[in-house]
Amino acid sequence: MSKEYKIIVDDVYKTFNVYLDKANTIKEKLLFLFSRNKKEKREVLKGINLKVKKGEVVALIGTNGSGKSTLLKLMTKIIYPNKGKITTEGKLTSLLELGAGFHPDFSGRENIYFNASIFGLTKKEIDKRLDDIIEFSELGPYIDNPVRTYSSGMYMRLAFSVAINVDADILLIDEILSVGDEHFQNKCYEKMRDLKSQGKTMVFVTHSMQTVKQLCDRAVWLCDGTIKMDGPTEEVVDEYIKETK
Amino acid sequence: MINVFKNLYNYRELLKTNVKKEIRGKYKNSFLGVLWSFLNPLLQILVYAIVFQMILKNPQEDYAIFICCGLIPWTFFSSAISRSAFTMVENGNILKKVYFPREILPISIVTSEAVNFLISTIIIIAFVVFGGLGISKYIVFYPLVLLAQYLLLIAISLIVSSISVYVRDLQHLIGVALQLLFYATPIVYSADTIPANFQWILKLNPMTYIIEAYRDMFYTQTMVDVPALLILIAISLIGCVIGYLIFNKLQKGFAEQL
Repeated sequence: MSKEYKIIVDDVYKTFNVYLDKANTIKEKLLFLFSRNKKEKREVLKGINLKVKKGEVVALIGTNGSGKSTLLKLMTKIIYPNKGKITTEGKLTSLLELGAGFHPDFSGRENIYFNASIFGLTKKEIDKRLDDIIEFSELGPYIDNPVRTYSSGMYMRLAFSVAINVDADILLIDEILSVGDEHFQNKCYEKMRDLKSQGKTMVFVTHSMQTVKQLCDRAVWLCDGTIKMDGPTEEVVDEYIKETK
Repeated sequence: MINVFKNLYNYRELLKTNVKKEIRGKYKNSFLGVLWSFLNPLLQILVYAIVFQMILKNPQEDYAIFICCGLIPWTFFSSAISRSAFTMVENGNILKKVYFPREILPISIVTSEAVNFLISTIIIIAFVVFGGLGISKYIVFYPLVLLAQYLLLIAISLIVSSISVYVRDLQHLIGVALQLLFYATPIVYSADTIPANFQWILKLNPMTYIIEAYRDMFYTQTMVDVPALLILIAISLIGCVIGYLIFNKLQKGFAEQL
């Protein structure tokens, strides 16, 4: 793979089998052999081609169900394509859902260690970042309280602070910044601009066109599992707004 | 293949915290806490000693020690396997949202059970010391036997944990299979009391060699069968490769199946 591109999505197809009544046991599986009509195939992505350069900040936009989140999950390797290939280069962190893997009974500090280790950091690396993470989260004295006592805003702030400080080369972010007050949101955008200037590659999924215009150089419009438009943010967003009005 | 190890090495902190969590979480909400890891096997040994020695009149000398040397390694074996069958479903929520090498989960189950076993070895040692047998020099082979058992368990748990995502029945089947295997392994009886026409079952069972090795070390205090153990290690290593290939194939669908 050439060094120029950080993410290459090459002719990717993804189909989900939607079981209306799922067979989990052997008995059900045997019975289902005779009545196969309960399965529905849903084609979510149909031949996606996308190349993201190093340092690019790309937004994936589109209506609900257009395949944005699926594409993001494919890039993280949580799910795999039916056809086609996805290659990524460098350390990749994804924020599909904030605080996945938080343990409610442990303190915020302990959860930082646990969460960061899921992202593949070693103890030493976490130690080094610990102060930054706590400072960014603005949790102050609450950091040693169990996470179950946190408000949803505090929860989100902690989770975001961990993820943003992981030092990944590629950051994939699903619609998550809707929580948190304006002050914290602005701080996050500031941090992302900072990461962008450091040459990190980012892919966003969002419905907030304002965010897209503020942060991204490039927008990709997904519609029914295909790329409808791909280009400079302003052009794509304007066209998208016109269409969906 | 080198990539597999590199990936695991990169995520070593996750493996470590996971193992710690498994060990810590196990007795977290119980009144007697860690004491259970000693009490549980002791009570089990008591039950078997009552049934097989006092009621069924098993002629084996020092029967409690005899049982102890077999039962404690067996507990390591059986709980590692039965817990592997649940680990993916239990962690389904994280598996659907974050990427990390999925093999971390079964490996940390086996590792945490191995640590538990290391602690439980104190019981075996207490039994042989206070039972008057003393400790033999053959104890130097303990790491080799542990290694053989560890590798065997890694191979099995990779297969069990990944298949159980697709076939949930496996969780129940494994309970029965383990019970069957318990009696097909010389734990409550000694291998030479089994009629010649059933000996092949014991010969095919890898756990026979492991239990016998622990027993040679602690109970009869004779030389362990090193060639047999080396063969077992070789077979387990092949098993690990096959297990990993199966696991790797199946793990691609985990997030969709859970």
